[in-house]
Order: sequence, then C-alpha cells, then structure tokens
Amino acid sequence: MEKFVAFAIKYGFLIVMAGSFLWFGLLEPAFWSWSNMFSILLGVTIVGILALGVTFTLIVDGFDLSIGSTAAICVMVSSYVMVVLNLNYMYAIVFSILLGITIGLINGLLIVKAKIPDTLATLGMMFLIQGLQLIPSAGMSIGTGMMLADGSEAEGEFAQQFLFLGQGRLFDLIPVPVVAFTILAIVTYFVLQYTKWGRILYAIGGNEKAVKLAGVNVERYKIAAYVISGTISSVAGILLAARIGRGDVTSGGGLLLDAIAAALIGYAVLGVKKPNALGSVVGVIFIGMLLNGLTMLSLPYYTQDFIKGVVLVAALIFTFGLSKSEI
Amino acid sequence: MSDKTPIIKAIGISKIFGATKALSDVSFDFYKGEIFSIVGANGAGKSTFIKILCGYYADYEGEIYIDGKLIKFESPRDAYEAGIQVVHQSIEQGIVQNMSVAENLALEMIVSPDAPFVYDKKKITKRAMEIAKKMNLEYLDMEQNIQDITQSEKQMIIIARALATKPKLLILDEPTSSISDKEATMLFETLYKLRDEGVSILFISHYLTEVKKISDRVGVIRDGKFGGILHQPLEISQIVKAMVGDLQSAFERSYDEKGKKKLVLELKDLVVEGSSEPISIKIYSGEIVGLIGLIGAGKTELAETLFGIRKPVSGEILLEGKSANFKDIHQAIKHGIHMVPENRTVNAIIPEESIGVNITLPFLDFFSKYGVLSKKNEIKASKRMIKDMGIKCEGEEAKIESLSGGNQQKVVVARWLLMKHNVVILDEPFQGVDIKSRRDISEYLQKSTKESSVLMISSDIDELMDVTDRIMVMNKGRVISDEKTSQIDRDRLLSLITQE
Repeated sequence: MEKFVAFAIKYGFLIVMAGSFLWFGLLEPAFWSWSNMFSILLGVTIVGILALGVTFTLIVDGFDLSIGSTAAICVMVSSYVMVVLNLNYMYAIVFSILLGITIGLINGLLIVKAKIPDTLATLGMMFLIQGLQLIPSAGMSIGTGMMLADGSEAEGEFAQQFLFLGQGRLFDLIPVPVVAFTILAIVTYFVLQYTKWGRILYAIGGNEKAVKLAGVNVERYKIAAYVISGTISSVAGILLAARIGRGDVTSGGGLLLDAIAAALIGYAVLGVKKPNALGSVVGVIFIGMLLNGLTMLSLPYYTQDFIKGVVLVAALIFTFGLSKSEI
Repeated sequence: MSDKTPIIKAIGISKIFGATKALSDVSFDFYKGEIFSIVGANGAGKSTFIKILCGYYADYEGEIYIDGKLIKFESPRDAYEAGIQVVHQSIEQGIVQNMSVAENLALEMIVSPDAPFVYDKKKITKRAMEIAKKMNLEYLDMEQNIQDITQSEKQMIIIARALATKPKLLILDEPTSSISDKEATMLFETLYKLRDEGVSILFISHYLTEVKKISDRVGVIRDGKFGGILHQPLEISQIVKAMVGDLQSAFERSYDEKGKKKLVLELKDLVVEGSSEPISIKIYSGEIVGLIGLIGAGKTELAETLFGIRKPVSGEILLEGKSANFKDIHQAIKHGIHMVPENRTVNAIIPEESIGVNITLPFLDFFSKYGVLSKKNEIKASKRMIKDMGIKCEGEEAKIESLSGGNQQKVVVARWLLMKHNVVILDEPFQGVDIKSRRDISEYLQKSTKESSVLMISSDIDELMDVTDRIMVMNKGRVISDEKTSQIDRDRLLSLITQE
C-alpha cells in the first residue's frame, strides 16, 4: 500500500496525462494530428511563459500576482510605441522589457526592503498596473488607424517583423511563440537544476535564515526572482501583442490565474512537491490538452474554468494530501 | 516511591515502522510521587515510546494499564482523558501568541466545546488565578500579553495548565532546552515540590547531569529494547554505559603547547554591541577553546561580531595578525571564519533538501564554474564528510529531515568543516544532540583541529570540559577567567559563571 502511494505520488500525474492523451486520440483521431498538437502548444505558450516566471517567485517562497497585468501593460506599451508614436518595433520590444524589469524591481524592493508581504505587495502592483495601462490611450484599445485625442488618425502600424513573433511559423509548421516558449523553458530548467543560482533560490525557499548564515546575500536573490518574473512576463506580453496585432485593453484577463494554476499543478509532476520548471511546463500543456480534447468532444466553452479548477484541486491532493501526515 | 503499586504500567510495548522495529518489548512502571526519567541515544526508540504513551500511534503492541485497568490508546485524546499530560519541548507550541497570560492559563475553558458563546472575562480571570496558584504564578500580571513574559514563565504557565487537569502522569519533554541554567534550577525546585505533593513525573532530557540530579529512577531504552532501570545514587558514567554500552575512550588528544602553535585570532579591546566591556583574547592554532556563560552574558553577541553579523562598537579583530573587521558574513567566510549557529532547525537546516545540498551550501562557488555546479565534486565532498563524521544515513541524497537530531547536527557541523578555515565557531553545538553523536562530533573536532582553531560556545560546563583545551568564562560581557581545561575545578568555574 505504501509503495503504491509512493508510486502514485511520483508518476500518477504523468499516467493520467498519458491516459487522457490516448483517450482523446482514440475518440477523435484528428486530435493526434501535428497541426492539432501545435495548436495546443500555441494555445498555452503565453500562460506557459508566465507560469515559468511565477515559478521563480514561488521557489523563494514568494508570490507574484502582478504577472498577468505586467504582460497586459506590455501589450499596450508595444502597441502604443508602434501605432501612436510610430517608432521602430525594436523600441516596442526594448521598452516592454525595460518596463517588465522595472515592475519586477519595484515588487522586489517592496517585498524585501519595505517588508510588505509578497501577496499584498504584488496585489497592489497588479491594481496599479491595470489602471496605468488604460491611461495613455484614455481607456481605449490601440489599433492601426485609431482616432487620437486631437482628432487625427494614428500613423503607425504593427511592423511585419513584430507580428511574425506572434503569428509566424518556422518551416511552415512550428509557431514562433512555441519556439520561444521552448527555449525559455529549457533555459529555466537548466538554471534551476544545474546552477548555483537555482540551488540558492531553492535553499532560500527552504530556510531563508540558514542561507543568510551561509553568507549568501538573500535579499539580492529575492529581488532577482521578482525581476526575472517581471522580465519573463514582459516577454509574454510582447508575444501576446504580436499574436493579436492590437493593443487590446482586455488582453490580460485570465492570464494570472491560469499561470498560477499551471505552476501549482507542476508541484505534482514526478512528486517533487516543489515549484519547478518541468512541472510548470507539463502543467500548462496538460490543461491545454484537456481543454482542446474536451472541446473536440464538443464540451461547451463555459465549462472550461470548472475543468481547470478540478485539475488544480486534484493535483494539490496528489501533492499534499497523499503524503504521510506527520504529527 | 511513596506508593507500592504503580499507577501506570506499560508492558511489552512494541512498534514497527515499515521494515524496522523501532521498539521491541519495552516495559516501564510509573509510581505516584516519583520523578522517573527515560534516557536513550537518538534513534533508540525513546520518542517512539513516549509518543505511544501520549496516544499518537494507535497501532502499537503491548498493554498499558492505568490504575490497574487496561486501556487501549487510539488517539492523543485517549491518553489525555486517561490523565497523561505532556509538556512538549517547544514552548512556543504550547502557548497561544496574542493572547493574555490569563487566557493562556485558562485556555481549556476557552476552547472547550462547553464554553459559553459569550466570552466571560471575569470567569476566565478567576479560573486563571486558580491555575496560576498551583505553580506560584500569582505574581504575574494576568492582563499582559504572553509575549511580554520570559521563556521560563511561559513554560511554567504550560505546566500549570497541564497540572490543572490533575494528571496521573506529567510528561516533560526536554523542558530545559530553551531556558537558562538559573531558570532550570527554579524548574527543578518546582518539580520536587510537585513530586512531594504526589504528582508522578516523567522527565526527558538530553542533559544527563539533569537526569542524574532530578530522577528518583532512570529507565533506559537501548536499540529499541528495555535497557534496565537505574536507582539512586546515580552516576553519569553508569547511565551512559546503560545507554550506549562501553564507549571507546575519547580520542587521545596530544595538544602540544610548546609545539609550533601560531596566533590565529586575536581580539584587542573589542567592544560588541550592547556591551561596554572591552574583550581581549588570543586563540592559537590547534586549540579548542570553550566560551561559557549564562544566557545574556554576551557570548552570542561576540560570536556574531566575529562572523560579520554585527559590527563591533570599537576595538580590533586580528586574523593571523591582519585586521579583520568584516562587513558581512560572506567576507568572514572568505577569510576562513566559519560558524555553526545555535538552534539548527531555525538557523541551519534546509529541511527538504538532501544531506549533500545541506553540506555544500556555503561553498557553491567552489563547486561551480561559471555558475554551473559540478555535482560530481559535490557528491565526492559530501561522501567524504558523511564517512569522516559517521553520519548515519542512506546516502548523501537522503533528505536531511529524515535523519535523527544528532545526525542532523553532524551534517551542520560537516558543512562548516568541509573547507579549509582558520577558526570555526560552534554556538551551542550540542543542543538536542544525543551523547553518541556528541562524542562523534567532539572526536572529529579533536582529530581535525590542527592548523585551525575552534571556539566552542556553550552554557553547559560538562560539554566543554569534555572537548576543550581551554575554557574562558564570560560574565556580563566580560571575560573573567581563562584556564586550561585540565586544571579547572568544576565548582569554582560554576561560581564564576553565576557570580553577580
């Protein structure tokens, strides 16, 4: 019995995932086509990238609730830079990333220096950013040829190169955002598993005081975790802007919760019980696959959030509930 | 022993965890008006036995009789109702923060299902006073917040609360681990008084001097089996022998004073934070120096100043003749000052990580190139330390939280002895460490201290007498004595430590 539980904790999640992969394909052969595989992956890239970002803050026993709104404001910034300011698309990318770094830095300073609890600090930032993104465009979405405040028409437009980041395909098959997501996932995995920085981040999450007494500048690492989270969020924002091709004020909705859910589901993968890069990636793909498959089996769209919730709760039971309870 | 028939009999208690038999056929009797101690090395099964007695494990074998009646413990509630009260090691777990002294004393009344819906302050204060009386705590201000009283007062409150239920057996698990010697003496006075009033007490402590002092009888558990009962007069050597068998005499240390010892660390009129007394000491290579004093004597402040945690107010720290006022811990480590902090759970252990990760933590720069870790080198280093220090484990990948307390401490010590260093400071290294692990650590320190030196801080004389070459006494921020261990008179040392 104990062995079975140990096995279930370790591989249960992956077995369920493989099982549903087979099940969907048997019921609906189109599910297994390459184009569908990539459409699943493309569907989860933005959330997946954000999940990688939030993984860093979860590792240091922190939390970043501002990731979704950071991505959203970067959508607005990219659009504003190209459409309203009529600047080169490179400026859009650079400004967005600088903004992501700044937001992360402010989060980090609020938490580490001002000692505001992580959830509260980033909740505050989330609100602030959500409001801020509306100001430059007076609450309107930004699109090519939009009417400006002075009555004239915006002259700029989304550059083709920029749109390629969101809509292009390599070899006419692999979507560019999927490539970006894959690279980011591999880098994150490597940094967390094989470098001293990853080791120290995990150690901080385990016992911050002990790491401090081992001579590590813990504050700097914690701030860095939030800066990485902000930066990764801005990358997600850039890809999202490139995909939708306009500065949609509502684009950030739902990103935050989906990303956090994926990272938490990741705790259950291989029974590691810790935030981890592989888990976050698997978590986000699992949700994407499940929704794709169920939609093919004509499940109504309004049940999607419910399904995600069920998966999350089940994964949390795997992670925390099945382990031996200590007194 | 005021009564001939035991009030509680535990007969043939056994407990199996998976494939290992943690406890096998252990029997103890408890009498009214007696202080009984159970001793055993870490991992011997002492805590398993106590947990069974407290009802934590329902699947034990054997029988427990209370007042001659067989009772099967299914849950802690059963033990509680049968009159077994435990005061756990952690004081913080026993009190409710943010509540007043009165509320903590009368906690049972507040949380009981029969408690009135409306909070009756008057009644609670009255009940709290009744409970306080049992432990002579009436002098406490009932209204003040529990956080504002001392550790030992908190502990007295917990004991008073336990006594209020008129227990058959009061179990005290490591009650002296977080209070000072003076407070411990006060606690013992109280325990004698309770014993004379007929309370039956089960006392558990790692400190054998305490066990010797306070117990009427001592029960021994050795390797999960019954190891005998010892009666007064007790001798520490006799207790140790019963616990772990004949230990090989500690490593013969040939500390050659006239040898080529060189000055490693020198403090010149160093004034640490919170004190105005200048400290001047010298520590030489190959030396193990003890620093003893009461809580509040300034030992920890001194250690933290050496390790770069605090800034010195004035004076100088010289390391091999060079000025060494480090601005942070990182600098101190870089210059070969290492420190094993007190209280490993809070300050040292990363519970969910492996033994290996815990050992190499401060020296990841050494084990990595361009930030990428060389796991091969790490594993090699960890394996060496596991072997040299005799850490009992399944391998360097085992999680540190799966080890016994003594072995966890070995890992923490291994962390700081792994790399070459000038001085290693050990702050209360034997807190909550069993005698076997203590010997292992001491022996390793004695063997490995050649070019470097050790500064061991403790409030326990016997620990230091065992290991050190020299002992300095700190009293109210001043170093008032500095003598070779071989020439020290224990009683005089004690009076120096406690003198006002």
